[in-house]
Amino acid sequence: MKATKKVSPVNLSRKLEDNLKNIKDSLGESSDIIIREMKISSNANVDAAVIYIDGLVDRDLVSRDILQPLMFNLQFIKDKVGQKNSSLLGCIKSSVLTVGQVETTENIDSIISSVMTGQTAMLAEGSIQALVIDTKGWEKRAIESPENEISIRGPKDSFTETLRINTALLRRKIRDPNLSLVSMQIGQRSKTDVVIAYIKGITPDNLIEEIKQRLKRIDTDAILDIGYIEQYIEENPLSLVPTVGTSERPDVVTARMLEGRAAILVDGSPMALTVPFLFVEGFQNPDDYYARPFFASFVRIIRLLGFLLSIYLPGIYVALKSFHPELFPTPLLITVAAAREGHPFPVVLEALLMLILFEILREAGLRLPRSLGQAVSIVGALVIGQAAVSAGLVGAPMVIVVAATAIASFMVVPFADTGALFRLIMTIVAGFLGLFGMIIISLEVLSHLAALRSLGVPYLSPVTPLNTSDLIKDTWLRAPLWALGSRPAFLDPLDKKRQSPDQKPHPPQNNPNERKS
Amino acid sequence: MLEKGRISSFQLSVLLVGFVLGSSIIITPGGDAGHDAWIAIALGLMEGSLIALIFTALVLRFKDKTIIEINDLVFGKVIGKLISVLFLWYFLHLGALVLNDYVHFFRLELYPATPRTVMLLIIMLVCASTVNRGIEALARCSLILVPLTISVIFLVTMFLIPHFNLNNLMPILDLPIGKLLWSAHSVASFPFAESVVFVMILAFLNKSEKGGRAVSKALIIAGLVLIIASIRNSAVLGPMVAAYNYPSYQAVQVIDIRDIFTRLEILVAINFITMGFLKISVLLYGTVLGLAQVLNLQSYRPIILPVGILMVILALTNVANTIELFDFTHKIYPIYAVPFQIIIPLITLIIAKLRQLPKTDGGMP
Amino acid sequence: MKNRQQGKISLVILLSIISVFIVGCWDSRELSTLSLIAGLGFDLDPATKRATLTYQSIVPSQVKPSPSMGGGEGKQTGSGGLQSIQLDHDTGLSPYEVLNRYTQHGSRIPFYQHTQVIVIGKAAAEHGLYPFLDTVIRNPAGRPNILLAISDNKASDILAVEDGMENIQAVGMANIIKLSARFSKYPAVTCLDFTSRFIGKTTAPVAPIMGVFEETGPEGKRQKKIRINGTAVFKGDKMIGKLNEQESSGLLWVINQIEKGFVIIPEASLEIIGSKTKIIPELTGGKIKITVEIEEEANLIQYNNARNITPDLIHQLEKAQAREIESQVKAVIKKSMALNADIFDFGGAVHRKYKKEWKKMEPRWDDIYPTIEVSVKVKTRLDEIGDINKAIMTE
Repeated sequence: MKATKKVSPVNLSRKLEDNLKNIKDSLGESSDIIIREMKISSNANVDAAVIYIDGLVDRDLVSRDILQPLMFNLQFIKDKVGQKNSSLLGCIKSSVLTVGQVETTENIDSIISSVMTGQTAMLAEGSIQALVIDTKGWEKRAIESPENEISIRGPKDSFTETLRINTALLRRKIRDPNLSLVSMQIGQRSKTDVVIAYIKGITPDNLIEEIKQRLKRIDTDAILDIGYIEQYIEENPLSLVPTVGTSERPDVVTARMLEGRAAILVDGSPMALTVPFLFVEGFQNPDDYYARPFFASFVRIIRLLGFLLSIYLPGIYVALKSFHPELFPTPLLITVAAAREGHPFPVVLEALLMLILFEILREAGLRLPRSLGQAVSIVGALVIGQAAVSAGLVGAPMVIVVAATAIASFMVVPFADTGALFRLIMTIVAGFLGLFGMIIISLEVLSHLAALRSLGVPYLSPVTPLNTSDLIKDTWLRAPLWALGSRPAFLDPLDKKRQSPDQKPHPPQNNPNERKS
Repeated sequence: MLEKGRISSFQLSVLLVGFVLGSSIIITPGGDAGHDAWIAIALGLMEGSLIALIFTALVLRFKDKTIIEINDLVFGKVIGKLISVLFLWYFLHLGALVLNDYVHFFRLELYPATPRTVMLLIIMLVCASTVNRGIEALARCSLILVPLTISVIFLVTMFLIPHFNLNNLMPILDLPIGKLLWSAHSVASFPFAESVVFVMILAFLNKSEKGGRAVSKALIIAGLVLIIASIRNSAVLGPMVAAYNYPSYQAVQVIDIRDIFTRLEILVAINFITMGFLKISVLLYGTVLGLAQVLNLQSYRPIILPVGILMVILALTNVANTIELFDFTHKIYPIYAVPFQIIIPLITLIIAKLRQLPKTDGGMP
Repeated sequence: MKNRQQGKISLVILLSIISVFIVGCWDSRELSTLSLIAGLGFDLDPATKRATLTYQSIVPSQVKPSPSMGGGEGKQTGSGGLQSIQLDHDTGLSPYEVLNRYTQHGSRIPFYQHTQVIVIGKAAAEHGLYPFLDTVIRNPAGRPNILLAISDNKASDILAVEDGMENIQAVGMANIIKLSARFSKYPAVTCLDFTSRFIGKTTAPVAPIMGVFEETGPEGKRQKKIRINGTAVFKGDKMIGKLNEQESSGLLWVINQIEKGFVIIPEASLEIIGSKTKIIPELTGGKIKITVEIEEEANLIQYNNARNITPDLIHQLEKAQAREIESQVKAVIKKSMALNADIFDFGGAVHRKYKKEWKKMEPRWDDIYPTIEVSVKVKTRLDEIGDINKAIMTE
């Protein structure tokens, strides 16, 4: 806080000319700053000016609801000012402008910062006040269906870059007055609006305090995306795993808020950040809750399996082949040995080559324009899959392993990038120390995760520290919704009860319409 | 307080199970009792539980105090420190012995060419980094590793049921009673009463009144697992069980279900790595925390690596070969461990009772 | 403060781990540097005391040609003899010395973890197996469930036979042994079984005997084939005798290793579906009496006479079957008494029941064993009679 220079507020003077000069000096010579000077009053003797930034304001609104009334209702203004002994601006505010939100200010700095956010300022000769009129209205993206978190049965809306729309999306899901949106501005230059959203009475107060503390600590020039916030508030910034969750889906964010988490929204980012974020959350998907419980539980276990496979499979293959050939069942070993015969590289190198090639392909396909991306993946598939094998550079089983790993790695999205790093580490270790090394590294990672916290909540809860009911009900298994009676205890919500206990549906006791056959 | 973390009695139990399974998961205790090993384990469990009663009673009498602080209170600063140093030596030596078990097993079965020093250092680094994260992280690790290990043991036992020959367990009590009792005592001293190192950890229970039950529960569960493993090994390997160095490892090699579920012995090795990791970490933690308390250090973290490396050096120098290690563990260790496991805690407890320690201060009962 | 320390410690850890990688990989064994030994033969020349080992190793490139080698070669392997295995021999004074010689001619490191079967020559078996057995059991690479077989001549002859449906001859041999055990003809004996009996002092180890026979093939070519033709009986580490086919099944009946198989009696064939044997020792006045109780259940699968099956007939068949089993069992008991080799673990049964008396008996077991009175009780049950309930031809 000490670093920010407190600019002494310069008050407006009575002379419009001076004021405009001051403002021009502060704003500089940018072409998008419009200062429209005019005369208002029937005898055209009062100078006035309207200041706004082109592109940030709704032009229609400015011309229809500000400029037009000011210029066409001259007589009316004169009458009004004449009638009552009120000030010119007060009269304009109360009777002329047909815009919803109008405030008065006397400070040049606040005028400037308002203008920067898309408001329109109006100054008049002889007045030490200025009107700040809310005319925000820039080109914005419509609400679209989520691109990255696809759900089959769930709602199809997602956040956009506009903060207000995003908060509105949350409000529409939770019509509880307890939904609190605390806003603040972060970034010396960007002055980005940041909103902490939580439900009062569920989210523990100390969590909100902690988040506020951490957000206030941020003192940087600009916040361009939610990712900036993420990196500034993480508990263990050197960890390879994420400790804050992100989502582009309002339904996911509201669901997490209802469990007792808090969300952070940033203007200009189509993502919301939720804290605390725990390991098991990575394996939960909105569809789990929209679908019936059995398949949802099954899919969660499959996700865990896929995640483990995506990390360990290449490593295990390398370790078995180059350290523990005795562990292959004999028929499999003979097949594998036959496939390995005559290949020039050691298995580790082969595996690393394929894995890195895969990462290259993935990254290239991701960044290239969509049309080119497809070409890349086709070429890549051909090179990796077909040519490398038939040229005898890489064994066919290795291609199968890497392909299976690649597919499995996309199952658990929040850990996809973490997984890629762990996979490489595991493969390298497997090549040098075999399974022993892999286990040792796994133990190190496990103890790291066990010590890790996300805003005070142990990262591996509810698995360890153990909370049996949470573990059984909503971790790898998903109990039916009517059985999820309480919010997760590890989040320490203020209101533990979620629903009344007798939610299990049952057939009607005596149905009058029962068919008698 | 050097350690700020607190663990629940459940976490303590699980950690203790992992500690007891430690190296006994691969070196099934009571091996010299042949097919009666399971009886020796059961008897040893009883003796071990009695021993555990002594030290838990002692530590829980002084809430929130480790044995080092208790020694200072009971014996005064000088003698107390001396006794504390004896304990520290025991923990350090025990840690070195477990490291030895580790290295001998892996170098025999899986990594004949990897230098011992490298292997020991790798293990020690992982344990040191875990100890560095505090008792909470260690307890949480055990909460994942121990259930995993026990389920692997059960899975493997299931797979071996077709190879069981229960005749191998007969006749029960084939051994002369003296030999059986000796074997039972050696089981009590390794692994059950080794849990005496928890005198360093019991102080961090969040509800100390539950400590006694937590310890006995853990010992019983670990004992049951060991009994099952021992019965399985005898039933599968028959008289060869006494001949093999690592019977569990050999027994699991027998598994062959349709040519696919076969060659699963690596699971035993993995179990050993994980449980040994817990055991070494607990011992390292005990040594390091104790040393920090003896020396009145501000934090125990800076001395983790030095002590760990000391443990490695001790492991490298204390035995020359496998048979010496086995000889020591079978013949000398059961007597060597008695003062640390029974006598000192018992004397401390008696003196504490006589001197009516801890003194209750300020009228609090 | 704390963070900086943690950072330092993790840096140290990281550096050490990296240095391990730079220096490391001591135990890495690339698959392509290993020679997978599928079958191992052990022979001993009794005159010179020189041991010969025969290795049957897998040639991976010939087993299943990878696609890159072109598709056509797959068939060649089948018709052009068995190139997928390679035979090597070495001779020396002790088993391990011989194992070591492999490196003089082998281009790859021998790898024994996938050995399917160990064949021991007859001469070696009669001379004593201890040094070889110790080599196999002590070596961590020797797995406890490798199958053992005795050759009725030289082990190298058996391993040299090019026969069978399997690419790898040793796999085929292992399958032969397993199949004959599954159909209750000859015991399948692993190293673990063999050594368990060996360490048990009074119990005599057994192992199936394999032989080579010649047969005229379809094109008039003489073909060598392998078959199991008996069970070797050991006393200590020396082979002292041989059980024939009937005695071998008798052995399986007594040691409760009947799984499936057939009992052939003059008028019918019966398929065994289950059997349980109890060995009940009884000690009266210093004399041991052993009762072998067999309870068997079978299905009728073939009947020679064109008669309808009646309950009476079933009863008769059950009795005839019991007689047949009894005769097999009696034959093997007689043979084992004659050899004075306790292949049934009767000693173990006595030990289990009379553990105090056993202490005195154990050293004298060789004297006691031939005097044991063994009675056999067989109870059989016929269950199903097959798909037809009427004779398809009447007399």
